[in-house]
Amino acid sequence: MSGVGIKLAAPSSVGPKPKLRALLVEDNALDAELVLRALRKDSFEVSALIAQDEAGFVQALRTHCPEVILADYNLPNWTGMEVLNVLRRQNLDIPMILVSGALGDVLAVECIRQGATDYVLKDALARLPEVIRRALKEKYERSLRHQAEENLAKKVDELARSNADLEQFAYVASHDLQEPLRMVAAYTQLLSERYKGKLDENADKFIGYASEGALRMQVLIQDLLAFSRVGRANGNCANVDCNAVMEEVLKTMAPAIQESAAVVKRTNLPSIWADRTQMSQVLQNLIGNALKFRGKEPPVISVQAEKADQHWRFSVRDNGIGIAPEFAENIFVVFQRLHARTEYPGNGIGLAICKKIIERAGGKIWVESEGSGGSTFKFTIPVQSPDRKDGMA
Amino acid sequence: MNPNEVDILLVDDSQDDVDLTLHALRSENLANHVFVARDGEEALDFLFCSGPHSQRSLEHPPKLVLLDLKLPKVDGLQVLQQVKSDPRTRTIPVVLMTSSREERDMASGYDLGANSYLQKPVEFDQFRKMVKLLGLYWLVTNQPPVTNGASRPAGPVK
Amino acid sequence: MKSARRLLIVDDNPADVTLAREALEVCAPDCEINSVPDGVEALAFLNRRDKHAEALRPDLVILDLNLPKRGGLDVLAAMKAGPHLRRIPVIIFSTSQLGRDVARSYELGANCYVCKPGNLTEFFATMKAIEQFWFGSATLPPRGE
Repeated sequence: MSGVGIKLAAPSSVGPKPKLRALLVEDNALDAELVLRALRKDSFEVSALIAQDEAGFVQALRTHCPEVILADYNLPNWTGMEVLNVLRRQNLDIPMILVSGALGDVLAVECIRQGATDYVLKDALARLPEVIRRALKEKYERSLRHQAEENLAKKVDELARSNADLEQFAYVASHDLQEPLRMVAAYTQLLSERYKGKLDENADKFIGYASEGALRMQVLIQDLLAFSRVGRANGNCANVDCNAVMEEVLKTMAPAIQESAAVVKRTNLPSIWADRTQMSQVLQNLIGNALKFRGKEPPVISVQAEKADQHWRFSVRDNGIGIAPEFAENIFVVFQRLHARTEYPGNGIGLAICKKIIERAGGKIWVESEGSGGSTFKFTIPVQSPDRKDGMA
Repeated sequence: MNPNEVDILLVDDSQDDVDLTLHALRSENLANHVFVARDGEEALDFLFCSGPHSQRSLEHPPKLVLLDLKLPKVDGLQVLQQVKSDPRTRTIPVVLMTSSREERDMASGYDLGANSYLQKPVEFDQFRKMVKLLGLYWLVTNQPPVTNGASRPAGPVK
Repeated sequence: MKSARRLLIVDDNPADVTLAREALEVCAPDCEINSVPDGVEALAFLNRRDKHAEALRPDLVILDLNLPKRGGLDVLAAMKAGPHLRRIPVIIFSTSQLGRDVARSYELGANCYVCKPGNLTEFFATMKAIEQFWFGSATLPPRGE
């Protein structure tokens, strides 16, 4: 509902009399005069138009742009109720106050229900200024609220678009970067193999650095692509049996598990509403980390889940090198690494991907670590996820 | 084995050749999802998800069909023609593997759209080597079509 | 007794063509390799037209998808439509892993689809696998006129 496109100033209660544009719908000149006098007496500097029938009313609405409408109920060929109909048809949010002789409660209530703001008896016009003030105040507050809602909606829209743009950019950039990088990586490697020992001693070293750099960039870009893909996922959510997912993950990771003589235990895991591929990614990343950051002993990893409130809480515990509490949040940030590349391989994107997946699913992920006694990564997934606008569970 | 998780459809009526083929595939860990059909009719039923194979889905074709030419009931070239002329199955890779040395067979094979044509070596060891190579090529190096896009319900072969 | 195999590589990236030649030099040094950089020249070569009037028909074609002038799928369709060219096995060799590219290639009659690997070692291994299968195991169609 629009206020006929007019900016409302907050009505003031002190100082010079505030201006008021009023539209009276009244066929009795004397009654109209009485109303205007009641308004002008102490309260308003009124500029008024008087309409006596529908045509006049519609015209006046357009030309006068009133802030308030004061209408009699009983008009020749017309009623106050029809005034409300016109306002509704034109989608106008102008306070309408019924100024009438005795109507009876039933009719009065019906008018209010149909949209009239208030009802003042013709022999109690002293009330009118206060009623108008109140109506205008309410109108003002309504418009403020409406404005705020519109601003919010616009901001949300902008944010969503900005996010979409960023993800699109990350995807396109990583995707398009792969091609030239493939050339650099292949040919530096070819150079390295073909000319090893055939050029001067620095050549081998220089070519080696270039080649390593190129290969590392390839992995980085693949990781970035994986990270950006989380956002682009269509959200194929279904009822996923986490036990089955674990089986697949363990099969995929069998070589690494065997190589480190690791033992992976698990309790019976639930079936949850989620994207199967992404659940698999999360478990694979967490178990992979547990294997990678192992201590002196063979890794012992246990995966469990328990129900708490409206969500499932999963935990992946290991007996590895642990994480100092001051880094507990840092590790989930993209490309954050706690160790030198020579100590432990990897780009530091696995946990960032887990976090993105879990948070998009409406859950949380965190780590509890006793320092060097191993770490327990925990994450929650809501039990029955509500429909989200982005289509993810 | 889940009928919709078959990687290779092996169509051959010679038990010896089937055994040898499976043995070779097994050594490359490729034999887990092989289905053997003994004649052309069964091969067609399998691929078109009809008859005894109506619980199969056209959405899950095998990644490779290894097809001999001399088959009972419906011969290999006829199977090939039916598979390659129907949009539902046309994109399934079909590799002819035959003991025939007839150039005519080979020409017809390629003309009808066979993805490749191999002549079975007479020698035991060569045969095994060939199967290993072809298994690795078609299941690892090659990208099979992900889906044939067929969504019509399975029907009898025209 | 096989005479030297003839291969046509259709790829607009000379670096990729060189890589393929380097790889095949190791496993198939006798292979006669020709390359053309776009779809129009590919069809001219295959049809022995213009500057390729003396060209010999290849036994195998390795075809990239993203080509200037006429795309790989176009070339493929043209080859499979022609009575003389349709028998020549075509390997689509592309960096694209998009399902629709793969599906469309098969629909148009590609014999197989191989993704160009991202690293050198795998690239060489893939070229070797292609050579071993197509020039080693498979029986290629008889050379036409």
